[in-house]
Amino acid sequence: MNPLPPSIILQAQTLHKSFDSIHAVNGVSLSIKRGEIYGLLGPNGAGKSTMLHLISTLLQPDKGKIIIENLSPTKAPAAIKMLMGVVPQEIALYEDLSARENLAFWGGLYRVQPDLLRQQIDKTLELVGLKERQNDPLRTYSGGMKRRINIAAALLHNPKILLMDEPTVGVDPQSRNHVFEVIEQLQRQGMTILYTTHYMEEAERLCERIGIMDNGRIIAEGTVEELKSQFAIENILSLQLNAKQEYVVSLLNDLGIGCKYITEKKSLQIPTRDIRHTLCQILPILSKQEIAISRIDTQTADLEHVFLQLTGKRLRDQ
Amino acid sequence: MIFHLFRKDLLLFLKDKKSIVLTFLLPIILISLFAYAFGGLGAKSSVSPLDLIVVDQDRTPLAKELIRALDSNANVQVIPMHLPAARASILRGKNTAALILPKGWSQALETGDTLPPEIIYDQARKAEVSMLMPTLTGIYFSTISRITIPKSITLFLDKNYPNLPADIKNSIIQTPIIPPSSPQEKSNQFKMTSVVGVAHSSHLGLIQAIAGTAIMMLLFSVAALGTSLLEEEEKGTMNRLLMAPFSSTLILYSKMLFTFFIAVIQLIIMFVFAWLAVGLDVPSHLVSTFLMIVVTALAISSFGIFLAAVSSTRQQAQSLSTLIILIMSAVGGSMIPLFIMPPIMKKIAICSVNYWGIQGFYDIFWRNLSLWDILPRMSVLLIIGISMTTLSIFLFTRRMSRRR
Ligand SMILES: Nc1ncnc2c1ncn2[C@@H]1O[C@H](COP(=O)(O)OP(=O)(O)O)[C@@H](O)[C@H]1O
Ligand SMILES: [Mg+2]
Repeated sequence: MNPLPPSIILQAQTLHKSFDSIHAVNGVSLSIKRGEIYGLLGPNGAGKSTMLHLISTLLQPDKGKIIIENLSPTKAPAAIKMLMGVVPQEIALYEDLSARENLAFWGGLYRVQPDLLRQQIDKTLELVGLKERQNDPLRTYSGGMKRRINIAAALLHNPKILLMDEPTVGVDPQSRNHVFEVIEQLQRQGMTILYTTHYMEEAERLCERIGIMDNGRIIAEGTVEELKSQFAIENILSLQLNAKQEYVVSLLNDLGIGCKYITEKKSLQIPTRDIRHTLCQILPILSKQEIAISRIDTQTADLEHVFLQLTGKRLRDQ
Repeated sequence: MIFHLFRKDLLLFLKDKKSIVLTFLLPIILISLFAYAFGGLGAKSSVSPLDLIVVDQDRTPLAKELIRALDSNANVQVIPMHLPAARASILRGKNTAALILPKGWSQALETGDTLPPEIIYDQARKAEVSMLMPTLTGIYFSTISRITIPKSITLFLDKNYPNLPADIKNSIIQTPIIPPSSPQEKSNQFKMTSVVGVAHSSHLGLIQAIAGTAIMMLLFSVAALGTSLLEEEEKGTMNRLLMAPFSSTLILYSKMLFTFFIAVIQLIIMFVFAWLAVGLDVPSHLVSTFLMIVVTALAISSFGIFLAAVSSTRQQAQSLSTLIILIMSAVGGSMIPLFIMPPIMKKIAICSVNYWGIQGFYDIFWRNLSLWDILPRMSVLLIIGISMTTLSIFLFTRRMSRRR
């Protein structure tokens, strides 16, 4: 086994995993850099959870291998498990126990010394903002609060790598922001985070690098900017004109500016990478032709467009 | 680590009021009920007097004397009534039997005619009537003998020695043949001795009730604990456990240990209760009772774990366990005592855990066997426990490796 470069903490090499006829993970390779937040973005059923289960050793790959801190899960499962904290997609906690009892149990599984564990629990409860409620049974918590404890339970042994499987599903916006802040704080403390989600806004906000997943494959990978410039070249500049003036299209085309005119909206649509630059280019032309503009709209490209571009389908059904 | 997992299960158990009630209180209530039904509760005053209606149509001093003699017997409570009321009362099931002394009854005794007293009773309560009869006949004949014996002696003397002088004849007749004695003693004309079960005042029905109920309830609570393993899978906590750095078989061991622990506690509580409340003689059999509790708990908790290992969902485990428990309890003697079942059922019973458990407790409390003699029975339970556990571990390990 070749050692990983020091900057890489986790590497997956052409992982395959099938369930009966479903090829849930179909040859995925990825490298996660030390200290980054890496996002796996994809719709339901893309294979994100299966990826996380493979990395967390809950599942065994049919093919391919995983290296974490130069350790192999088959050779040193316990050591690898100690390095990782896992936030499962479902809330995997005991509802009848209090938050503190839950954390004491889950932390204890990682052989944290009792004194240290007590400190860790205090610190983590503070981090997720549930210290006041720590002795109430989880049954009495809201969905968002349970999610926060679900995260806390993965942090007690101070893992180097945190795997988070859609940790904000069903969380109200306020709790969601709280969760983001927690994640950002963890990153500042030096934790490496693998984050799966089907919300592109989350991936955009949190993740330095993103792997877009669909049908068990990573179909694109890079920083948000890289992905946008690579696949969703265009922002859309749309100008609403006063009159039917289709001839403007050919005028602009002659100048090398691609655009189209949508008659019923009386709207000129101009895809561009640089809205300001394009605007400066075309405004003088339009004024020369004495064409009045009643409205200017811009539509910036986001990962949704990237995904649309890549797969021809939307990330979420709206 | 096992202890850490064990403590979590204990904590969860203690937080669940419903399961505590089901595990500890319900069996105690059931034992009390069954024990009461089997007549073991409050053993000392257990022989309540049997009621007997007496319809006195004769109204002679002799009749009154008979009624007084019956009434003074501790086993009989005389209720005087008129005939129609007596009939109605028996028909309605309020009383068991009525003794009717017809008009001219004592007259007939004097003259040597036959006018026997009549007993009317409820066919359904034959058992009670047959318990009443020895006392009744004893008192009846000892009372009327004061008339009938001199009568028959007179007849005998008149026939064989017609010329005997009157004063000699009288002195013969008045010679006491039956020594005077209290009515109480008269009713116990036979001393009955049962060879089993008397040494420790234990009652067969009581032991049956306690052991049978205990084992059936234990099966239920153990099945519930076993299915908690499947609950962990359904709730996702199993995944989290599997991601922690220890072997997955520890999860099964800790569940097994916890189930065994609860089973032992449950049995101890039930037997302590049986000792304190219904007088089961636990202290004289402390060691064998404890060992028996341990092997029974082992066999039964292995059943719970086995159930969880073969079922794929909690729902399935629950319906499967209810079915198996009810069948095993029915054939194994938890519901109906085995000693009243036909021989074929006794053979089938061997297939149930209940059978071995109940028989073991019979051996201790009824047959009074020594620890040495009970060992074979205990080994059967031990073997059941160990083999079921081994099988469960195998099945569980296979399942865990399949899901990877
Ligand atoms: N244990 C399993 N058994 C059978 N099929 C599974 C199992 N886990 C996941 N799958 C299937 O694999 C595919 C990927 O699932 P998953 O990894 O959960 O996707 P995601 O987390 O991206 O929504 C889905 O089609 C899902 O139905
Ligand atoms: Mg998922």
